[in-house]
Amino acid sequence: MIGIGEYRVGSFPMMTIGLGSCIGLVMFDPNLNLGAMVHIMLPESSGRMDRPGKYADTAVPLLVRELNALGCKNRSILAKMIGGASMFEYFGTNLNIGERNAEKVRMMLIEHHIQLAAEDVGGKFGRSVTFFPVENGKVVVRRADGTANNI
Amino acid sequence: MKLSTIQSDAIQELGNIGAAHAATTLSQMLGSTIEMSVPAVNVVDLSHLAEYMGEESAAMVAFELQGDIPHGGYILFYITRESAIRMTNTMLGLTETNRPLSEMDESALLEVGNIMVSAFLDATAELLGFVMLPSPPALTIDMAHAAMQSLIAQMQEETNEVLLFSTELTCEEYKVDSDIIMMPERSTLNKIIELLENLMKTG
Repeated sequence: MIGIGEYRVGSFPMMTIGLGSCIGLVMFDPNLNLGAMVHIMLPESSGRMDRPGKYADTAVPLLVRELNALGCKNRSILAKMIGGASMFEYFGTNLNIGERNAEKVRMMLIEHHIQLAAEDVGGKFGRSVTFFPVENGKVVVRRADGTANNI
Repeated sequence: MKLSTIQSDAIQELGNIGAAHAATTLSQMLGSTIEMSVPAVNVVDLSHLAEYMGEESAAMVAFELQGDIPHGGYILFYITRESAIRMTNTMLGLTETNRPLSEMDESALLEVGNIMVSAFLDATAELLGFVMLPSPPALTIDMAHAAMQSLIAQMQEETNEVLLFSTELTCEEYKVDSDIIMMPERSTLNKIIELLENLMKTG
C-alpha cells in the first residue's frame, strides 16, 4: 500500500486508498511489463526536496527517471491519473486543490512527452486504486459506495 | 514533531474538558448516556495516515479553527455511516437502518457537529483564555481517508506530520460511535502548549 507522498516501481500490483484531492498517478511500459505508482498531495514543491512523491511537479520527473533507469523509453510510457476530487463543498470553493493537482500533472506529463492514456478525476467523492502493471496497466478504481470501474 | 509526556498529558487534559462538554450536548440531543474515551494524542506521518483513517464510509463535519488565529487548523466531528444513520434515526424518530442518507440526515449531522464542536471549543477557550471559533461547517459522507487527506492538503503550514488529537464518544443504548478530532496547525499547537504550560505554572 502506497501512502501519501510515497511511490513504488515494479511489476507487482500496487494499491493506494482514499484519494480525495490527492492524485494517484501510474505510469507503465506495456512492452516491458513495468510500472510505477505515486500518491501526490499538492501541485507545487516550491523547492522542497525531501519528499518528491508528494508534489506533482517533482513526482512526474521522479517516476520518469525511475522507469528510464529500468530501460523504459518516454515514448512507450503510458500514464493514468485518478483522484483530484473536491470533498468539501464549503472549503472547496476558495481552494480547489484537487483540480490544481490534476492540472499540474497534465502539464508535467506534456513537458516530459508522456502520453496520458486515461484519467478518472474530479467530482466530490473519494477513490481507492489498484494498479496492475503487467495486465497492460489495468487500473481498478473503487468508490465508497462499493462501485468499481476499470480505466 | 516530538511532544514531551507533560505536553501530551496537558493536551489530553484539554481534550478531556472539551469532549466532556461536547458529550453533554450529545447526551441531551439523544436523551441517553454518552461514554467518553481518554483522548488520544498522535503525531502522524502523512504516509501513515491510512493507519488512522481508512476506506470506511463515514460522515465528517469539518470546521476550520478561527478566532485569535485566523487559520488555526481543523476540528471535525467524525461518525461512521452506520452510526450516523442510527443517530439520525433516534433524532428523527425513524427505524429503518438500511437506507440512503437524505437531506434531513445531512441537516441533522451538520447541526449535531456544530453543537458539539462549539461546546468543545467554548470549553477549551474558557480554560486557555484563547478563542478558537468554528468556521461554518462542511459535510462530506465518503471514504474517511479521502476527506482527511483533503483537509491536510489545504492546511496553511506545509508539513509532513500532523497532530491528531481525538476523543471517542459512544452511546451504548443506540449503538452510536463518534469521534471529535482536532488537527491544529503547528503554530496553533505551539500556542496551545504554551498556554497550557503557563496554566500549570500558575495553577
